[in-house]
Amino acid sequence: MSNQFSHEKIIQLRKKRSAADRRFKTYGLIATVIGMAILFFLLFTIFSKGYSSFQKTVIELDVTFDQETLKITPNATYEEQVEAKFFKVKKKAIANALPDLSKKDIKLMKKMFSINVDKEIKEYFLQNPNILNTTQKLLVTAHSDVDQMLKGNAKRNIEEKKRKLNDRQLEFFDEFVFTGRLKSKFNNFFFTNADSRHPELAGIAGSFVGSLFTLITVFLLAFPIGIGASIYLEEFAPKNKFTELIEVNIANLAAVPSIVFGLLGLGILLNVFGFPRSTPLVGGTVLALMTLPTIIIACRASLKAVPPSIKEGALAMGASKMQAVFHHQVPLALPGTLTGTIIGLAQALGETAPLIMIGMIAFIPNIPTGFTEPSAALPVQIYLWVESAERGFQEKTAAAIMMILIFLFLMNAIAVFLRSRFERKW
Amino acid sequence: MNNVKVSTKNVNVHYGTKQALHRVTLDINEKEVTALIGPSGCGKSTFLRCINRMNDLIDICKVDGSITVDNEEIISDEVDVVSLRSKIGMVFQKPNPFPKSIFDNVAYGPTIHGIVETKTDLEEIVHLSLKRSGLFKEVKDRLHEPGTSLSGGQQQRLCIARAIAVNPDIILMDEPCSALDPIATATIEELIDELKNKYTIVIVTHSMQQAARVSQRTGFFHLGELVETGETQKIFTNPENEKTQGYITGRFG
Repeated sequence: MSNQFSHEKIIQLRKKRSAADRRFKTYGLIATVIGMAILFFLLFTIFSKGYSSFQKTVIELDVTFDQETLKITPNATYEEQVEAKFFKVKKKAIANALPDLSKKDIKLMKKMFSINVDKEIKEYFLQNPNILNTTQKLLVTAHSDVDQMLKGNAKRNIEEKKRKLNDRQLEFFDEFVFTGRLKSKFNNFFFTNADSRHPELAGIAGSFVGSLFTLITVFLLAFPIGIGASIYLEEFAPKNKFTELIEVNIANLAAVPSIVFGLLGLGILLNVFGFPRSTPLVGGTVLALMTLPTIIIACRASLKAVPPSIKEGALAMGASKMQAVFHHQVPLALPGTLTGTIIGLAQALGETAPLIMIGMIAFIPNIPTGFTEPSAALPVQIYLWVESAERGFQEKTAAAIMMILIFLFLMNAIAVFLRSRFERKW
Repeated sequence: MNNVKVSTKNVNVHYGTKQALHRVTLDINEKEVTALIGPSGCGKSTFLRCINRMNDLIDICKVDGSITVDNEEIISDEVDVVSLRSKIGMVFQKPNPFPKSIFDNVAYGPTIHGIVETKTDLEEIVHLSLKRSGLFKEVKDRLHEPGTSLSGGQQQRLCIARAIAVNPDIILMDEPCSALDPIATATIEELIDELKNKYTIVIVTHSMQQAARVSQRTGFFHLGELVETGETQKIFTNPENEKTQGYITGRFG
């Protein structure tokens, strides 16, 4: 039996077509594999560099809380205890950290401890005041140089001049390791502290809270304005040249480089309106301007996707235009709008350039408590740390990137959840 | 002979520069079913949508001429379309229940127009409307399930229940059975027959059999013109116009 499809030429063509199919499939597979490989490489580098930042090095130190050094009496009030001479106690403890240290040795030894040790001793004492006139074994934070040496991030087989710890300090280091007084502990500072000049004390709490305040500002400004603008443009605005112009320019606005928004914030918000510099309020306002087009575009697309029959049904029931929009179209458009909003917020979270312009790059060593307080933001914190010379900040940078990625993944997870939760069939 | 409920005189409709309806003059009687038939694109749906001003939704659509409902002119900017539409219900070609519960679908009209005071009143209206549309028995145990979970025919009856819940005078039906199977169609046709005792019904249909079965009067549209109108029986047995004759005997359309 022969028909026209068994013709020689047609069979040839069919083979060619299926070969093209297979080829295209292979290209797609290769592209996907390359993409995944790059992603995994990136994540692997970040995680392998950053995970050590969640550990800090502590040194076991014998601290003698004798009342002469502290200059307090056993029945001192809390206020007197706070004023006690803890730095002297620390000095003595460090001088006796190892036996038979010379004056020069003590100076070197002091540099192996974090400057936070005074405070740690003080806090320990205030919590247990009955230890007066006893000697306690305290785990105090080591200096970042010791920390990096223990973690193996700093090389020791190089010239003394190029090392942070000199030969004598390395001897101390080895002695501490040998006697088991150098320990690794969970680095709570990374999660509870704001930025610091000392890598062992620097944390992301300040920039995290700053980013949170900034995002709240973005959401509160951009979400209502974006939804209002979308509903007006989509449902109420007359279709003429002017609204067309607005529509084109909203799309253009979405493509404007973020640094331009930063300059706008600097020129208008800070210089003309006198917003407080370096604050989540001004950062959030600038980022809200940047996020608006994203939200408007997402919201309008979702409004467009609502079947017109729903609106017609409502209008035919005698609903006013506003009722038809708010009772039927907006609820149906909400999942898509929320997804768009969260994507916009995620974009805003990672944005650095505009924040630099409005001064959020300042070194802020405390955790902000309000919208009008100077604060840092996560991406800017990463930028600040990556610029720092100390080796200890390298792992902080990677760890901060990990935190921002986790933050982003969480936000995207919320977006996916909202979409599946509120998506309705019609 | 029943009173005239809707009267149109010289209605012209333009979509931009294209004229869709040419000088349509038609009277629609109270508590009767008037069927509008004709080939696709002849303007019968456009005409139907003039009666409740749904053409307002289309920016480029311009309607002129005169349409009166209960002797009141409705082609005028002063007319309140919200109150007009509360008097004129509409059922669409494709069932379009709101993505809400069955109860909320029917309760929507009474709620927005504020014609109920208490929850019990609202429930009463919803139940009554569902009973009138013959849906109550089928859905009484699942009033809070989404309206979209019903079958196509049930959805269409839900839309009818939704329309009659505000107690309109007129119900416009735009090919209400075109998306339904023959059994669902038969149910809807029976329903239309019952509803005509209480409401004035205008139905656009593609099916001449349907027009013959449910309507008392029929208008035949062709190329934007109302070619012939009269009692259904007369139109289908002894039409005056050649085109009508041609259409109903299946020679074109």
